Amino acid sequence: MSNKINRRDFLKFVGAGTVGAGAGFLAADASKMSTEFLIPQVNLPEDYSPGIATWYNTVCTQCSAGCGISVRTREGRAKKIEGNRSHPVNEGRLCALGQAGLNVLYNPDRIRTPLLRDGERGSGSFSPISWDEALTTISGVLGTLKIQEKANNAYLLSGSVHGHLNDLFALFMDQLGSENYWQHEFSDPASLYAANKACFDVDVLPFYDIRNSKYLLSFGADYLGAWLSPVHYGVSYGHLRQGTEQRGRCVQVEPRMSLSGANADEWVEARPGSEGMLALAMAHSIVEQGLYSGGDAGDWKQALGAYSPASVAERSGISADRIVRIATEFASASPSLAIGGGAAGASTNGTANLVAVNVLNHIGGNIGEPGGILFNPASTFSGDTPRPRASYQDMLNLFESLSRDDAEVLILHDTNPVFTLPSSANVTAAVMAVPYVIGMSSFMDETMALADIILPLDTYLEAWGDSTPDPGVGFAVASIGQPVVKRLYDTRSAGDIILALAHQIGGELPANMPWTSMENYLMEKWRAIYQSKSNDSSAQGFREFWSSILESGVWGERPLQPVRPHQAMSQAMLSAMRMAQPSFAGNEGEYRFVMQPYLSLAFQDGRGANLPWMQELPDPLTSVVYNSWVELNPKTAAELGIREGDVLLVESTAGRLEAPAFIYQAIRPDVVAMPIGQGHGNYGRYASGRGSNPIEILAPEIDIDSGGLAWSATRVIISKTGRRVHVIKTDGTTRELGRNILGQEHGHA
Amino acid sequence: MMSISVLEALAHFKKPTLVVFVGLAGFVAGIWINSTYFGDASPVQPIEFSHRIHAGENEIPCQYCHVYAARTPSAGVPSVEKCMGCHKSIATDKPEIIKVAQYYAEQTPIPWIKVYDVPDFVHFTHKRHIKAGLECQDCHGPVDTMDRITRQQPLRMPWCVDCHTKKEVENGRDCLTCHK
Repeated sequence: MSNKINRRDFLKFVGAGTVGAGAGFLAADASKMSTEFLIPQVNLPEDYSPGIATWYNTVCTQCSAGCGISVRTREGRAKKIEGNRSHPVNEGRLCALGQAGLNVLYNPDRIRTPLLRDGERGSGSFSPISWDEALTTISGVLGTLKIQEKANNAYLLSGSVHGHLNDLFALFMDQLGSENYWQHEFSDPASLYAANKACFDVDVLPFYDIRNSKYLLSFGADYLGAWLSPVHYGVSYGHLRQGTEQRGRCVQVEPRMSLSGANADEWVEARPGSEGMLALAMAHSIVEQGLYSGGDAGDWKQALGAYSPASVAERSGISADRIVRIATEFASASPSLAIGGGAAGASTNGTANLVAVNVLNHIGGNIGEPGGILFNPASTFSGDTPRPRASYQDMLNLFESLSRDDAEVLILHDTNPVFTLPSSANVTAAVMAVPYVIGMSSFMDETMALADIILPLDTYLEAWGDSTPDPGVGFAVASIGQPVVKRLYDTRSAGDIILALAHQIGGELPANMPWTSMENYLMEKWRAIYQSKSNDSSAQGFREFWSSILESGVWGERPLQPVRPHQAMSQAMLSAMRMAQPSFAGNEGEYRFVMQPYLSLAFQDGRGANLPWMQELPDPLTSVVYNSWVELNPKTAAELGIREGDVLLVESTAGRLEAPAFIYQAIRPDVVAMPIGQGHGNYGRYASGRGSNPIEILAPEIDIDSGGLAWSATRVIISKTGRRVHVIKTDGTTRELGRNILGQEHGHA
Repeated sequence: MMSISVLEALAHFKKPTLVVFVGLAGFVAGIWINSTYFGDASPVQPIEFSHRIHAGENEIPCQYCHVYAARTPSAGVPSVEKCMGCHKSIATDKPEIIKVAQYYAEQTPIPWIKVYDVPDFVHFTHKRHIKAGLECQDCHGPVDTMDRITRQQPLRMPWCVDCHTKKEVENGRDCLTCHK
């Protein structure tokens, strides 16, 4: 190389140097952290430290069970929900729907401001308005009715509401001058209330002491699934099985195996509606064997004479030997317990079935005994108004009066009867017939879409409230629900709305409802409770009492004396006991299958369908996600040439729907089953347009004694549409296919 | 005539190699220029807050403002309310304090720029280090002499491990202590 650097070389060096320096500069820049900010609070929050979790105890309202929950919050945001360990209902456990409360709070489909209808009624077209405007409009309408003394033409239909909010609703309607306050709940066990009233003369559900029982005989009650208080029964079931040295035995009587049936030792596939007869046949057998210890054995022998196992065997589809064997086991196990509910209580003879179950308990000597049926003491809460539970018959009457000319205003609170009642009830037409409909809900749904004005509600994690669980746990217990986070949107709680309306309507309402807020109202009510109980409380003053309840999330008082059964009970049961045959809509020849819709823990009556976690939770027995399905026995499927995934047309006398077939071994061949919950038309992005709703095609059959909807009394025709879909499920096959999973040498699945 | 010695030394390299050398030299120079004149160790803050005046002259303890340091992972920046607690009456006419008052009046947080930061995959907590008896100055330097905060440590892993080793921290060299 020559040591001369010519002009060309010089340019090369300059170029290389510049490019190198530029690359170095950029490389150094790239290795820097991006600018991040330290954003301080404007005002220092008193109740948390950043990075440290704060737990708040409150109460779950996802179903009526009233479990205590502990919510983990960080920086003022709810992050996780767990069961409250000191709460006697759930003892620290929580179900999937309870866990999914966060999906309720953070749901993107929440209504965020008051809405005013701006299109045709029922078109679902709304535009936002201010709270001032909304409340002024509504109080104007209600105030006018009151002045004209036509307030009885105002109706309040709510979902299930417990505790003092129920009192407040009742007081408000009373002050307004209306007697039309109802609570509607699809899963309301109307026949169970009626049966217990007839047998024991009690208005609240008794305490089923599954925990201490040694033999649990369930007639249709899916106590591990969606019956009454599933988390409490789940904990109790665990204790029954493994809590003591003697493992309790479980027998489940139901035409379609539920989660409880799958966990039982024995599944008794009785015909739908025959559960009560079966119970009486067992009672008959116990009395005949001389295992009944009561003094009136003669009376019972006579009363049960018509229900010999042999005569019931054919009607129930269960052999006489088997009935006698189970009866003997039931009578000799101590303590034993029979429970009834679900489909057994939702036949046309539902109440009679459940009375029969009570009779079996009485004959088995389980009433008033630990491990049997215990009675909850009458609630000791001041002004604890009984909930105006509307049976199906009440709802039909309500819709009839709504359709009359004089109905003026309907207030809907947190209820979706368009979805949870059969289409034959004509809910939509009845609601549309009312001139002015006010909706209160956190979410748009099929019923809210019919409203004229919608007030967005806080979720239960943002609002004050309280709850007395029903069924109770053998002693009086209550929980206060407190906001665990500041409200996310421009929403209010139902209590605050009612109080604001009362103040604006004026007249004597503000004087009789003087509270400034739901929180203030609750505190005043609890102050009265404290004053009447101050002897039992170690708290120094109300403030301490109040904050200790908020901190622990539960308040209860154990009864000094256990509530004993009434002496005349045996006689009451003798006279209440009678057995009607179940009847079904649709003649057996044409409508071959009895349809059994069933509630799932995840969706309840469909309210859980807008929660993404619940949508992606596989059904515990079929493992299906995201859709509806029709369960068929393999024999039925083979006979009709149906394979899994065939889209079926399901027709009842009241309507038709389509859903894919799922072959399910544990169902009677003359029964088909469908899960409740899917099939929403207008319930947010996660629920809408998914699956089909079996409630829709239910025939308007009624349990005569309670007026409840007999939702397992509809017969259907099944036919193939010719289309097929892929059923999305997490299981491969339910067959063992020689894998020897059961560990038997010649296992057959 | 003397020739330039560098050129002579380089004489037996081929020209393309020289070009690479010059490029590399430029690269190093680029990095140096960036970190010397364009560094992020001492960013300009939205308000010219002086630690020298507060912590130095007025001897306000660190944790009077950084309230969470002993209790939580993050030391915490004082809330705007906290600033106003004193500055409602102190130095209210200074232009920088007027800015603070304005933030408070508008109820907006002051967007301070982070000087010390560790990546998200590092689990660092102030609480532990204060419990272990470290002084704030051990890592953050003589804050009480700085008007504007200048980063003293790049907070790289060798520096952390070095200290953990010297102080014989229990499980101080365990991966999961910081990366969890």
